[in-house]
Amino acid sequence: MAVEVAERPPSGLTLIRRESVAISLAAVGLGTLSLAVLFVGTVAVLFAHDFTPSGSLVRGLKSHELDAVLIAAMVVGVAAAIVGLAGLQRMRTKVSREECIAGAALGGQALLFGAILFWFVNGDRVELFTTSYLDFERLGPMLGDFLNGAKNTLILAFSAEFFGIILGLILAIFAISKRAVVRAPARVYINFFRGTPLIWQLIFIGIGIPIGLGIRIDTYKAGIIALSLNAGAYMAEVFRAGIQSIERGQIEAARGLGMSYLQAMRYAILPQAVRRVIPPLMNEFVILIKDTALIIVLGISSAQRDLMNVGDQAVANDFNPTPYIMVALGYLAITLPLIRLVNILEKRLRSGLVGVGA
Amino acid sequence: MSSHLVELDKLNKWFGDVHVLKDIDLLVDPGSVNVVIGPSGSGKSTMLRCINLLEEPTSGRVYFDGKDITDVRVNVNKARTEIGIVFQAFNLFPHMTALGNITVALRKVLKLSDTEAKERALEELRHVGLAERGDSYPSQLSGGQQQRVAIARALAMRPKLMLFDEVTSALDPELINEVLDTMKRLADEGMTMVIVTHEMGFAKEVGTRLLVMDDGRILEDGDPRQIFASPQHARTKSFLSHVL
Repeated sequence: MAVEVAERPPSGLTLIRRESVAISLAAVGLGTLSLAVLFVGTVAVLFAHDFTPSGSLVRGLKSHELDAVLIAAMVVGVAAAIVGLAGLQRMRTKVSREECIAGAALGGQALLFGAILFWFVNGDRVELFTTSYLDFERLGPMLGDFLNGAKNTLILAFSAEFFGIILGLILAIFAISKRAVVRAPARVYINFFRGTPLIWQLIFIGIGIPIGLGIRIDTYKAGIIALSLNAGAYMAEVFRAGIQSIERGQIEAARGLGMSYLQAMRYAILPQAVRRVIPPLMNEFVILIKDTALIIVLGISSAQRDLMNVGDQAVANDFNPTPYIMVALGYLAITLPLIRLVNILEKRLRSGLVGVGA
Repeated sequence: MSSHLVELDKLNKWFGDVHVLKDIDLLVDPGSVNVVIGPSGSGKSTMLRCINLLEEPTSGRVYFDGKDITDVRVNVNKARTEIGIVFQAFNLFPHMTALGNITVALRKVLKLSDTEAKERALEELRHVGLAERGDSYPSQLSGGQQQRVAIARALAMRPKLMLFDEVTSALDPELINEVLDTMKRLADEGMTMVIVTHEMGFAKEVGTRLLVMDDGRILEDGDPRQIFASPQHARTKSFLSHVL
């Protein structure tokens, strides 16, 4: 084995490994250890005392074991920061420098979070905060409501996204017309819906228009309509930018083949533009998911409530804000996979795979 | 109205304050190979693009196949199906295969069936020597191959006239000949062509007629060999001495 290595020229990786020196490895090791002690230790101590009922959690938070864990994490964190920062100037290679910086950064994070937690568990508000925000026992019976809320959030967001895309495409095509009489109404619409608060639009469409026209709209549907009209305006701008980013030669080639303007849009320009705007469209979608919470201003039945409003209702019923923790987790469960998907799509777009493939 | 395939009548084009084409008159005979040369900014490409109205003339008339296509009552899209155009930047649709690029207008504009369109597209790909590359996307083809697909795309419409707008200018030197050879074969087959180019050798060899443009006017018009041998205008002389 050793003979083999000696015979071959050293690869990049062996060079890198050799250039990590004891000090930089110590820094990165201590840094990792400090964060690990902080998180694993805290969870282990709390788990040993149990998370529910809240009384057990309070005992866990106030226990000496947790103090010991936090102090240990902070001490190791400080050590990592000192070793990393002190060693940094003496490192001779890029890799060992990076390891020193990483160790110092990890240690600093352990120190910061450890200190905040230490401040909290040794203060006199542990019981108050835990029974208010961390009373997980209450959540069990609410699970069905939360799932229903998440379902409503998704229904509202997907419907508004769907209608918003159709509306946005049409508006974008109007907005790039060379005829002012076609362009102007689209611009007025887009500027109005981007220039007024969504909550105003919800109230006006859900309450004002039904009064003015003497019609009845189900508030849930009114919410979807208002969200769609609003999303359409934002998506119109996204699509307009996408269409205008396509090289002029593309429409010239299509028109040169005898296609009408609309045919050229349909077959040559839009397929390319839509691919380009997938990332910003998904970004709008993530914003839309959170905006659905505003439909509460329309006064909706409990079965129609979205995630945020289910949480609000639960908090109001019990005079206990623990459900808010659940609300945040619910939103993250929906948005994080979407954000991840956007990142993957963006990478593929940049590497050209989506842009080229059919 | 006449036996000419194209007639430009007192064509003027202004870009803002810039007078790009000045009273251009031009007659193009069927079967002729018209090569347009001249310094950059002389209006060659603008004149070419006025023939299929990709550029709208500020004044003047364009007759194609006896019809005034500048008349607003005339369907320009219909006329354009009979005028093929090939661009400097290829302008293939990047989201379609070579076959897709050729068939899309056959299906959507000429309303051919899918099988008819595909047959014709394959035939034209064979014509430009790319029968094997039908399923390739433009990004998978070399510049020369992309330009030949663009030529096949235009030819598949069975046009009466082909316009070439500096089609070899964006190509690496070693890829220029495959495109010029394709154009030469088209000329031999009797296609009527208007070609804006900087390839003087090609102009002399393939052109049946040479047009030298300068400052928005056609300066010289005649037999390529004769003009190259003894240009009439001092401007032509100095231009040729710079490019030859």
